Amino acid sequence: MSSKKLGKLEFTEYEFFIIETTGSVAAGLIVSGIILAILGYNPLRGLSLLLFGGIRNPDYLLSRATFIMMTGLAFAIPMYAGLFNINGEGEMYIGGLTALLVAIYTGNGFLAILMGGFAGAVLGLIISVLRVYRGVNEVVTAIMLNMAIYYMIIYLITAKLYDPVAPHESLKVPASARFGLLKLGVFRIHIIFPLALIFIAFSYYILYFTKLGYEIRVSGLSPASAKYAGIDPNKAMINSMILGGFFAGVGGALNVIGFMYYMDSMLTSMHGMGFDGIGVALMGRNNPIGIVLASIFFSMLILGSQRMQLLMRVPKELADALSGVIIIAFSLPYAYRMLISYLRTRRMIKVGAEHHS
Amino acid sequence: MELNIIANLLIISLVPMVPLLLGSVGEIVAEKAGVVNIGIEGIFLLSALTSAVIDFFTGNLILAILTGIVTGTGLGILHGIISVYLRGDQIVAGVGVNMLAYGLCVISLVTIWETFGSSPPVKTVPKLKIFDLRVSPLVIVSIAIALVTWYFLFKTNTGLRLRACGEDPRAAETMGVNVMRTRFLATVYGAMLAGLGGAYLSIDWVGQFTREIAAGRGFIALANVAFSGWNPLIAIAGAFIFGFFEALSIYLSIRYGQFALVYLFKTIPYLGTIAVTIIFVGRAKTPAALGKPYIKE
Repeated sequence: MSSKKLGKLEFTEYEFFIIETTGSVAAGLIVSGIILAILGYNPLRGLSLLLFGGIRNPDYLLSRATFIMMTGLAFAIPMYAGLFNINGEGEMYIGGLTALLVAIYTGNGFLAILMGGFAGAVLGLIISVLRVYRGVNEVVTAIMLNMAIYYMIIYLITAKLYDPVAPHESLKVPASARFGLLKLGVFRIHIIFPLALIFIAFSYYILYFTKLGYEIRVSGLSPASAKYAGIDPNKAMINSMILGGFFAGVGGALNVIGFMYYMDSMLTSMHGMGFDGIGVALMGRNNPIGIVLASIFFSMLILGSQRMQLLMRVPKELADALSGVIIIAFSLPYAYRMLISYLRTRRMIKVGAEHHS
Repeated sequence: MELNIIANLLIISLVPMVPLLLGSVGEIVAEKAGVVNIGIEGIFLLSALTSAVIDFFTGNLILAILTGIVTGTGLGILHGIISVYLRGDQIVAGVGVNMLAYGLCVISLVTIWETFGSSPPVKTVPKLKIFDLRVSPLVIVSIAIALVTWYFLFKTNTGLRLRACGEDPRAAETMGVNVMRTRFLATVYGAMLAGLGGAYLSIDWVGQFTREIAAGRGFIALANVAFSGWNPLIAIAGAFIFGFFEALSIYLSIRYGQFALVYLFKTIPYLGTIAVTIIFVGRAKTPAALGKPYIKE
């Protein structure tokens, strides 16, 4: 009996990756389709708009992906060290606000983006220090900070930083600090997207080619062997949160300096992007390159949902439900492994039975 | 005069206390058995929605509360299957449930009432009159639930077995405890209480459903779990303290609330929660096997 016909019982990581990703996306789409059908909309039209409605404007698609790429990194890097950073949202707000203030006072866009990143890093530092030295659950602190920062910034914009001409908007980023469009022949793109790719490369370098990144990765895999190798897992945790916070802060800064040029009083231009980053990181398997691809996919869904709302009057929050299901599905690697080995075993039994008959 | 204000604030604190208490007592049971559910926020949101819908269309408050509890139970079964039987990542699953719940709520608001912000007003639970105070019966119910749950956890055999599942599941299995089933049921019980808390939010306290109705309370309840050291009795005091911050925020908004200052007052419950947690939480009492899937050999 040839082993080729039997198939093998084990599967490669690559196969697993393909199955997990398609399985999770399929689960999300199926549930969304069911929701659409229950509410009396045409599920096929809704799903096709959701998936492909966002591609019409590639520049907008990639710009939108920029921000969740950064919040994706903000979730992914602490994940390497075994921490859940749900604070991407708050770090992004703070990064945006800091960048806005720095841009107004100095007129320097690069400085604004860096300072935005540092502001996010400070939040990451606070959360991780509380976790490491006081045992305070990082998820709880993160959500409390998200909410507090959200209202604090709304207060600052409505009471102090508002634009007298348009009171629901903050003061504008001065022209000298703005990042604009890059023109490549007929193709135009916001500079922030290639800029974000540089940050992605930077994160890749840190994670895989520096001592800092090595310590973060080892501590997450096995805190015990990290200690044995002379690495302090607590320090690695804190470093990972500082780095994560930095990237989310940069995301907020890019939003203000290179796309919106102001913050609106209800923060609608950033709202929810911190949480989208969680889906992006999970789908991208915490790998910076995977995160780029996943952020474009999630950006497609978000823009698609806006298109769907416009054409079908289905609320765009269907995209939230959809990413919720995708995230739930990504929490279940064991279930996928069980499913695959079950299918493999069944096939083996079938092939085996055919041989005997 | 000043005393009057403080007395008033303390009484108002009972109102936000209820969902925090129900959420945290439920979570204590789940975590004592070894399962973290950070999806309480999502349960609050969805149960608040479903009970408001039933209340709006039938006007039957008992049915509406039951619907909230059933919604919580359903989400608890989902989380239980994911975290106990499918060995899923409990934090990631919880984040997903919260997002799913938020999406579903907004979609339902638009489909049912054609509004993006809040539902029309619904009938609310009649208040009890104790001396001169008007108090929701759920204040008393939630405290009673906390007391009964404490007794169950710390004074009964079943409670001991449940706690063993969160401390040392392998030893519990040797003692003849069905770890998987215990964890599953504990998760469902926790979510059920959160469902009641969600129903309270819309049809008792606020009197309508809004998309921001949960407002991070699910996470404040989680903070209270750590604050209480996983003890339902202390959780009563904790829920009252965290409720006080919210009462203070509401009071200041009404008293001094010009347009923008209201937003500043809204940060009080969250900053207060962080402050209390930093000062009081020790890490000694966390159940040893919390959040780790149990793998039977």
